[in-house]
Amino acid sequence: MDPSEVEFLSEKEIVTIIPNFSLDKIYLIGGDLGPFNPGLPVEVPVWLALNLKQRQKCRIVPPDWMDVVKLEEIRDQERKEETFAPIPSPYYMELTKLLLNHASDNIPKADEIRTLVKDIWDTRVAKLRLSADSFISLQEAHAKLDNLTLMEINTTRMFLLDSLNYMYKLRTNMHPGSDAARSQDY
Amino acid sequence: MDTNSLPCRTETAFPRLGFLEKSSDTRHIPEGTKMEMPLWLAKGLYERKRRVLSVELPKVYREGWRTVFSADPTVVDLHKMGPYYYGLGSQLLHFHNPENPEIAQAVLQTFIGRFRRTMDAAQNAYNEDTSALVEPLDSLERALFKVGQNGLNAFQRWETGRASHLTASSLVLNYRKRKITDL
Repeated sequence: MDPSEVEFLSEKEIVTIIPNFSLDKIYLIGGDLGPFNPGLPVEVPVWLALNLKQRQKCRIVPPDWMDVVKLEEIRDQERKEETFAPIPSPYYMELTKLLLNHASDNIPKADEIRTLVKDIWDTRVAKLRLSADSFISLQEAHAKLDNLTLMEINTTRMFLLDSLNYMYKLRTNMHPGSDAARSQDY
Repeated sequence: MDTNSLPCRTETAFPRLGFLEKSSDTRHIPEGTKMEMPLWLAKGLYERKRRVLSVELPKVYREGWRTVFSADPTVVDLHKMGPYYYGLGSQLLHFHNPENPEIAQAVLQTFIGRFRRTMDAAQNAYNEDTSALVEPLDSLERALFKVGQNGLNAFQRWETGRASHLTASSLVLNYRKRKITDL
């Protein structure tokens, strides 16, 4: 899966905006988007929020978790524990990138937030690699990881699957069974 | 992988096939000759009951090297030892050698031991010359390294925003068609 596809999926998340135009309620296939009144906050999906922002028709309100104090807490919790800490949004990486690229004027302390999110990402990816390594070296049959986001899984998916495939083929060498059943490769 | 030559010893004579044996000029290949054969030929000719030929294990799979691998698999330059260590090792198990279980175990443990090194190299080397990292890797590990690099490059490309940036294809640039501005 491409990172752009994961970003596309993340645009379905809901975010609050403050429009500067007015519009009646619109009825879309995915759901209704409430009436827009200038100055009153309304909740919309991220794709619409970004589009309106680019046309300078709204102001984006940062989500609750996109705050320096909260992110520092999450980062410290992540560093303390060995398992993955629950994070406020399953698409934190993508939302950070999108909102900070398009709406950094509406978000206070944007650079610090970027750094904090990067720290959280690095810690989590390092934990993921550690857990993949122990999975392979102990030759476990199954592992359970909670609180992983799609983007993190996506970066290691192909590599981990291919190595597990090769390992499986090498393991079946130990119990040959019948020669006819073995395939030509490895 | 199959063009590797394995050292074999013929158990029966091969009449009128002397031309296969490059070192001597005899017309027939007598019993007990040591010669080199490609893997595919050895695999086809091998039969437990009729004893047509017996295969010697290459050095890498023998006792001495196996202890090296069990001590520390990461220091060995697997590419120099024959770039298809894992593949050839799996194929050698066909030949009903008495050491087969140990060979299979050694190959598996080597893979597991080197996995961490390959993963770290693939996932951390962004935009730098990777030839020094790839050199000691066997061809199977190189394929894995490439997959890991692809994942990393795709993510970095997305993060820097180049994923949505349209660029001319390198084929078109190299073809150097005349552009409107040139006319």
